[in-house]
Amino acid sequence: MNGFPGFVLRRLAGAVVTLLVLSVIIYVVFYATPGNVAQITCGPRCSPAQVHQVAQQLHLDDPLYVRYWHFLQGVFVGQDYSTGTSVEHCAAPCLGQSYQTGREVTDIIWAKLPVSFSLVSGAMVIWLLLGVGTGVLSAWRRGRLSERVLTAVTLAGVATPVFVIGLVLMIVVCGELQLLPFPQYVNFTDDPEQWAWNLLLPWLSLALIEAAGFARLTRASMLETLAEDHIRTFRAYGVGERAVIVRHALRGATASVIALNAVTVGSAVGGAVLTETLFGLPGIGQELVRAVKVVDLPVVVGMVLVTGFFVVLANAVADVLYAVADRRVVLA
Amino acid sequence: MSEALAAVGAAGTDTTVPAAPGARQFWRRLREQRAALGAAVVVALLVLVALAAPLLTALEGQDPTTYHPDLIDSARGGVPIGSFGGASADHWLGVEPQTGRDMFARLVYGARVSLGVSLGATLVQVFVGVAMGVAAGLGNRWIDLVLSRITDIFLSLPLMIMALALLAVVPDGFPRPVLVALILALVAGWSTTAKMVRAQTLALKNLDYVSASRLSGWSTWRTAVRELLPGLAAPVITYAALLVPSNISAEAALSFLGVGVKPPTPSWGQMLTSADVWYQAAPQYLLLPALALFVTVFAMTVLGDGVRVALDPRAASRLRVGTGRKREARAQAAVPATEPKKEEGA
Amino acid sequence: MRQPSVRARRVAAASVSLVVAAGVAACGPEDDAKSSGGDSAPHKGGTLTILNSQPQEDFDPARLYTSGGGNVPSLVFRTLTTRNRENGEAGAKVVPDLATDTGRPNKDATVWTYTLKEGLKYEDGTPITSADIKYGIERSFAPELSGGAPYLRDWLAGAADYQGPYKDKKGLSAIETPDERTIVFHLNKPEGEFPYLATQTQFAPVPKSKDTGTKYESHPVSSGPYKVVKNENDGEHLVLERNPNWSAATDAERKAYPDTIDVRSGLDSSVINQRLSASQGADAAAVTTDTNLGPAELAKVSGDKELAARVGTGHFGYTNYLAFNPKVKPFDDPKVRQAIAYAVDRSSVVNAAGGSALAEPATTFLPNQKSFGYTPYDPFPAGASGNPAKAKELLAQAGHKDGLTLTLTHSNSKDFETSPEIATAVQDALKKAGITVKLQGLEENDYKDKIHSVKSEPGLFLAHWGADWPSGGPFLAPIFDGRQIVKDGANFNTGLLDDKSVNDEIDAINKLTDLDAAARRWGALDKKIGEKALVVPLFHPVYKRLYGSDVKNIVISDWTGVLDVSQVAVK
Repeated sequence: MNGFPGFVLRRLAGAVVTLLVLSVIIYVVFYATPGNVAQITCGPRCSPAQVHQVAQQLHLDDPLYVRYWHFLQGVFVGQDYSTGTSVEHCAAPCLGQSYQTGREVTDIIWAKLPVSFSLVSGAMVIWLLLGVGTGVLSAWRRGRLSERVLTAVTLAGVATPVFVIGLVLMIVVCGELQLLPFPQYVNFTDDPEQWAWNLLLPWLSLALIEAAGFARLTRASMLETLAEDHIRTFRAYGVGERAVIVRHALRGATASVIALNAVTVGSAVGGAVLTETLFGLPGIGQELVRAVKVVDLPVVVGMVLVTGFFVVLANAVADVLYAVADRRVVLA
Repeated sequence: MSEALAAVGAAGTDTTVPAAPGARQFWRRLREQRAALGAAVVVALLVLVALAAPLLTALEGQDPTTYHPDLIDSARGGVPIGSFGGASADHWLGVEPQTGRDMFARLVYGARVSLGVSLGATLVQVFVGVAMGVAAGLGNRWIDLVLSRITDIFLSLPLMIMALALLAVVPDGFPRPVLVALILALVAGWSTTAKMVRAQTLALKNLDYVSASRLSGWSTWRTAVRELLPGLAAPVITYAALLVPSNISAEAALSFLGVGVKPPTPSWGQMLTSADVWYQAAPQYLLLPALALFVTVFAMTVLGDGVRVALDPRAASRLRVGTGRKREARAQAAVPATEPKKEEGA
Repeated sequence: MRQPSVRARRVAAASVSLVVAAGVAACGPEDDAKSSGGDSAPHKGGTLTILNSQPQEDFDPARLYTSGGGNVPSLVFRTLTTRNRENGEAGAKVVPDLATDTGRPNKDATVWTYTLKEGLKYEDGTPITSADIKYGIERSFAPELSGGAPYLRDWLAGAADYQGPYKDKKGLSAIETPDERTIVFHLNKPEGEFPYLATQTQFAPVPKSKDTGTKYESHPVSSGPYKVVKNENDGEHLVLERNPNWSAATDAERKAYPDTIDVRSGLDSSVINQRLSASQGADAAAVTTDTNLGPAELAKVSGDKELAARVGTGHFGYTNYLAFNPKVKPFDDPKVRQAIAYAVDRSSVVNAAGGSALAEPATTFLPNQKSFGYTPYDPFPAGASGNPAKAKELLAQAGHKDGLTLTLTHSNSKDFETSPEIATAVQDALKKAGITVKLQGLEENDYKDKIHSVKSEPGLFLAHWGADWPSGGPFLAPIFDGRQIVKDGANFNTGLLDDKSVNDEIDAINKLTDLDAAARRWGALDKKIGEKALVVPLFHPVYKRLYGSDVKNIVISDWTGVLDVSQVAVK
């Protein structure tokens, strides 16, 4: 099949395969990880008999392939589970229940996603402004002070781990200058204004890490465009430098910036682990780290599938956007 | 990373690559760029410091692991006694809070781990990425499909999570810095390189001179080595220059999560991890490794730019856009751009 | 064993803390803090904010592993007995809560009878009955709700194989409820410390008709001064408001000054301390129940008078130590163990743990508090920074004249207790005695599996132990009672000591219902065991915590070592 529908179908099939393989990998790796899951779940002082009961409860004694089969069943047809006092149904796609808390994994994901989206969406605006801005300046005003300062700032952003940038920002901005309250997640639906004020520093910290990539990309594509024949022609005809930069060179960079942005957003949804941890934002990344530490396999698999889904989706979106923006590209 | 991201590496290096410059030409072009030359010197110095760490600390008369409890104030959380973190003739950059270990010694020994891990990881990423990318680009439809899917899967693996899990699985005896480098390289990084290289390969293989070599009966292998790799050098090196800082950062992030290199081995990332809370009480403890990291990343980036320009003369002309009349002359001398046909993944 | 509170350091995301940090103990400078400010008398009203690192993931009284009923949980769950909410030593006493007294034992302390106070009600106004307390204990046996301390299973007669009320409708025959206000416990051996156990949340009443199994924790039915009105994301954000059916007349311990308690968790520990020190807005009325000041923050706080006045200092019964497995060579030789005890440099270990303000050097296994029966002793006097000469001499006698190479196992977590920082400090000290130490750092789960398994226990490792209640019993018995060696599960008797005289003395002390007399004998037993050099005590932690500038009525008991939220006022 050709054309756009064919592309979508192939990408979809590819995504399903990728996610399935991903879940197998996670199952195998975590099966091999040390840590007696039943003992961790039961508590450090549980007797062997109690640990055995918990293991049975969670089907931990079953062979790996049986557990994986159980997982797949949940995803495609749902599953029932007991709370002790009643039997509940977890509808497909059911990713199972947390070993630690008994909560349905899909519930946990729905609770964490808005936080991760909030973090990434705002940070995106900043990294685009800062990154593309720096890129334009460094292509246009090469060697000027403003360009050098901005380039240094973005590079410092890449070079300094987020836990250092974030903590220092918090100490200075919230503690010493008292310009902002210490960040604390507020639901967008509860209070949009507080939501934004509280997320400002997390946004800035996350954006600083990513901005340099955008700056370099913008700069490179603009320089490429500026060297092309038609731009030289424009210049020769006396088109103003500003118009050349804005109308032509920047437009030339748009396609690749959009593409990079889609991919960065996709991976940051589940990948902003350190930013979420430092600022106490209860997002996907923070939950993933918690779950890994206590070998809470259903949660780990569920979260990895979600983050994997966003990475795959973002790649597909990037390719489509790229193809739309740059007609040279053929979606095959 | 998507195919589209190939643009990051590819932008600025048109896929219409002229024959790669000879070594002499390359060095001449590199020397022409003052900034790159400066950066090269800085990088060389950093590597030298890392290699000569035992000599340098011997010169100072300290080592990175000995405790100096007399130099810290135990009642105040172990903050170094004296100004500038207890800097003195014996301890050039002061001592570490809580232990009194020598900061200078830890910084230069830390360079070994941080540079070693990041450069090592980058090398593996580039090697695996180029191999997978070229194989996917030159291979038939099925090879391409399988390799591209594998790349996608690795792309979707969350680095921090896999690192947390894998570092727990691998036996304790395995040297930790090597392990950290391998995990950084194999879980992340290479897949983006592979995607970019594949896109470049697809573009290059339709160019006249590569097609010609294929038609003239050269083996795929020979085509890859003789015709493709030189064309790939510029985008790959540009990309590698971006990988180095992200690897350094990732090493620090692993330390933050408690799974980086193990104490008492120092690394800059690990120093930053324990130092961030000391920002107010002992600022130099945080600032020294942060500065070291910044200088490294800055120098690597500038050097990467320089190398790319030296490899690709057209890039040089573009970089000088708007700097004078020479621009016109150079631009005209450049090979006219043909429209490369980029293919999207299956 | 109860886990300690979070250090003011990065605990990279949550570890399985089954624990809720309990109260704070006052001793020292914080007493001055109370007298500062104009009107220091506490008043009702306002909102108390609690900034925590660990979410209150378990909020089911069956699953909570607490010392003395926990800090936040104790606002919602009343238990048969509870800890005395007073400063210092007095706070280590057990007092009645739902019951009229701390329990009436039979002659050999195998049967304990409690009578409930009159007029006790749940948040919905229904009366609390003794059957609800029995049901609460029974459900803690369900594998779905595991997590609590092991004592009920070990002590109640015929409870070893009980699987909880969901699978076994007959219930526990060891607990009788002859009428609505009386509850009788039958134990399988004498346990004079039963009143301490009855402070744990498993002794909170749970109405059977309201039990929703694993989902109960999202809204447990309150018997205390506050009820849960919001529980977001498994305890990440809890909001507690006054329970109108709680009556101060039946509760002598909880002051319940604030109208609302807002618990925010999942915060980075250094951010918590920054917020408390800045004390802006709502943070002025904030405390933390799980985050201590770390060394870096202490360095800053100690230079600032205003901040220093807002630090609560406390001691929780807790010991960090080096443990030996005498089945592994060369640790089978007591001389080698003694040599290491002499070589250890406690001052550098204390520095690694945060300095002299955050850790006190330990030579006894029992914590240095009266309620534990603390008896000072030092069988291997090494001074503050070790005695390498004496260590070398002992090693020579043991046939290791040319030194010795050992492996020290530790965890890779960042708790500053069993973590690499402490291990490297020990490594550095033993070097002076000619002992080369190789470090074996294991990931947290791997480390716990290894040290608590008889089969894989390493020869030398870092360990810690905390008090389930302030007495020698839960401190010494799990570690040194030979009958508590677990061959096929989690074993805590890591020295694998099975000494008849020790076992007999433990049994004899358990018969005592005079807790002061028992404490003295635990102290003597500790000294006797200490001479065997199965462990090298390193340090006892000191808890220092900041609180907001509007917070009044700070009470820190020796039971929990941390500020008690049931006493705090914000107006």
